[in-house]
Amino acid sequence: MIKINSITKRYPTITALDNISLTINKQEFFGLLGPNGAGKTTLMNLLVGYLNPDQGEIHIAGEKVTQDGLHTRKNIGLVPQSLALYDDLSAQDNLDIFGSFYHIEKNLLKERIKEKLESVQLYERRKDKVKTFSGGMKRRLNLVASMLHDPPILLCDEPTVGIDPQSRNAIFDYLLMLNEKGKTIVYTTHYMEEAERLCKRIAIIDFGKIIAEGTIDELIEKLPYDETILITKNQITVSKIDVLKQFGSIIDEDDHFQLKPNAGFQLSQFFSSLEKHTISYKFVELHKPTLESYFLHLTGRRLRD
Amino acid sequence: MKTVLQLIRKDYKLFWSDRRAVSMTFIIPIALIIIWGAVFGNINKGGTATKLHLAFLNNSTSPIGKKIERVLDSSKTFVLIKSYKDENGKRIPFDTSSIQNFVRKGSVSAALVIPVDALSDTAFGLKLKFYYDPKNDLEMQMIDGMLQKTIMTEIPDIFMQGMKNQAVKFLGSDSGKAFNNEIAKTVGKYFKIDPKWITNPPIDSLMSMSGGSDSARNSFFQNILQLDKVQLVGQDIANPWATRSVGGWAMMFLLFTLTATSSALFEEKKSGVVLRLLASPISRVQILWSKYLYNMSLGFIQLLILFSAGALLYQIDIFSNFINLVLIIIAAATACTAFGMLLSSISRTAGQANGYGMFLILAMSSIGGAWFPTSFMPDFIQTISKFTIVYWSMDGILQVLWRSAGIIDILLNIGILIGIAALITSISIWQFKKGHVF
Ligand SMILES: Nc1ncnc2c1ncn2[C@@H]1O[C@H](COP(=O)(O)OP(=O)(O)O)[C@@H](O)[C@H]1O
Ligand SMILES: [Mg+2]
Repeated sequence: MIKINSITKRYPTITALDNISLTINKQEFFGLLGPNGAGKTTLMNLLVGYLNPDQGEIHIAGEKVTQDGLHTRKNIGLVPQSLALYDDLSAQDNLDIFGSFYHIEKNLLKERIKEKLESVQLYERRKDKVKTFSGGMKRRLNLVASMLHDPPILLCDEPTVGIDPQSRNAIFDYLLMLNEKGKTIVYTTHYMEEAERLCKRIAIIDFGKIIAEGTIDELIEKLPYDETILITKNQITVSKIDVLKQFGSIIDEDDHFQLKPNAGFQLSQFFSSLEKHTISYKFVELHKPTLESYFLHLTGRRLRD
Repeated sequence: MKTVLQLIRKDYKLFWSDRRAVSMTFIIPIALIIIWGAVFGNINKGGTATKLHLAFLNNSTSPIGKKIERVLDSSKTFVLIKSYKDENGKRIPFDTSSIQNFVRKGSVSAALVIPVDALSDTAFGLKLKFYYDPKNDLEMQMIDGMLQKTIMTEIPDIFMQGMKNQAVKFLGSDSGKAFNNEIAKTVGKYFKIDPKWITNPPIDSLMSMSGGSDSARNSFFQNILQLDKVQLVGQDIANPWATRSVGGWAMMFLLFTLTATSSALFEEKKSGVVLRLLASPISRVQILWSKYLYNMSLGFIQLLILFSAGALLYQIDIFSNFINLVLIIIAAATACTAFGMLLSSISRTAGQANGYGMFLILAMSSIGGAWFPTSFMPDFIQTISKFTIVYWSMDGILQVLWRSAGIIDILLNIGILIGIAALITSISIWQFKKGHVF
């Protein structure tokens, strides 16, 4: 469905995307995970033809994406990272305006607007100005404003930034439902929980490069250890943390230490060592490895740095 | 095309939803026109450091006539124009009819003619003819005032001569102090001013602006110096200042409105709406077209409404020459749209565009004649003013409303405005292509 072929995009001071290639299949829920400034938005803007790449090509449904080729855009709905709405207009007027550019038959558009507003629980508030909306409501409107032409592909650029858990869940459920019904969704985020919950396949992007790609299980399996260990910071653990260094590398974080076990790590040895140094078990927590740990493993940084 | 129309519809919807924009476009300028009208309805002649242009013809052979000419020639207030250029560029001295034509054509706001019978024994004072164009009412009043002041300060003989003539006529006697007192009494009675004021202090302090009753003094001079004023243009048009004032405010706010609406592009860009629009089947060119057409039509509507308000409030006659008014308004709106879009194309933020805009608009409005007639200004400013949109718009509007100018007369104005628009639009398109805004 989407073929990204050796794309490079440079800004005057930075190479935002460096020779990126990706293939996204039809009806896939694809995640693009990376920290701020990794190049996610730049890639989305290239996919809709808002930007021109310096090198490489993008094909969507077999058609090459260009700045002037307006045709490919009918297949795509872009949910911009910013709240691309007119604050002084009502929710309904916003949708009416954004829908009007797709030359949809008047009554059909009206029907779609109603249906979309209902599906994100905004129909009751349709006459209210957007500036009176909460962050979550704006996000939901921002989402459906990109779908009035019923595109087979939906590009969501961090659609849940700065939002309450309830709105977030509503958006998740809605997107999962759409995907179920056959929409191809590309979802960018810097929250690994989101990628884990929503996406079947992900690519991890950092400094404009794809550093990993695959299903979540595939990625985690590549880790040389099965779990990470969190050790609460307090007087005892701080004074004795050195003795645990034999088990792996220790990362000093705000309120705890994180232990990334070495190869051949044995849980039983670890626990007897705790006993020997009278460190209480209750300060220790075992974690299944996550995308977060995988990112950490690849880059030595946490996602949200 | 349909997409462009949809985009324009969107912009109008946004405009109406923004109360500040609506009031900035219509309500504030109308309020200012009303306030300005109230303040300047009773116009007061003010002093000015700049030279006023005055066409001049001396038909009199009397020494006083020569003296007036000499005084005006050397005065700091006036530049006398005594000849005109014909089609071949040859300078031809004025005669009684060519000097009137010169004013009619608008080449100068006023003309002073010293007729053959300027000074006669039967008249109380000096008889002069003053021709003026009421389009520049303000300026005319100023010339009138300055003229009287200059002649009366520099040539007290006229004053004395007039008094003596009058005294001889009334009293038939002449004897030192008694004469002076008598004449002072008589004149005082005649003009309802204190006799002491005439005999003592002497004339030069009498001319100074301090003390005494202004209105009494003015009527006194006016009767000694008989300026026979003849309005040459637009005899039957009411409220000469109103056209200028409405036109001036309208032009200035047109520029403000169009700068603000053009810089709305930045808001749309910042919020991501531009991205959303360009991710739909809309091209950059279509967005630019829609912005130009929207701004031009909004500017046109604004000018039309402000002039209609002028018609309602001050009986400005917009209907007898309506088609030409519409043409010059379209040209003005086009040029101002181009100006607004240029500002947006070279700025990086809305704040920057509006900041440059504020400065340029105020400068252009003052230099271009939106506030005062350009003929008040020093020569070099008058030259600069010809490079402003405001000048050519104001001039065209006043020609249409005052001289009932036909399409031929305003063709130059329309041509220059469209030319300016074309020039700066090509600059902005080139800037937009470099891509600061999109
Ligand atoms: N218009 C631009 N001009 C210059 N640099 C830009 C521009 N847009 C983005 N960048 C830079 O490109 C990099 C990638 O940005 P972006 O694609 O927005 O990242 P992300 O969406 O992953 O946070 C960042 O370093 C950002 O500062
Ligand atoms: Mg981004």
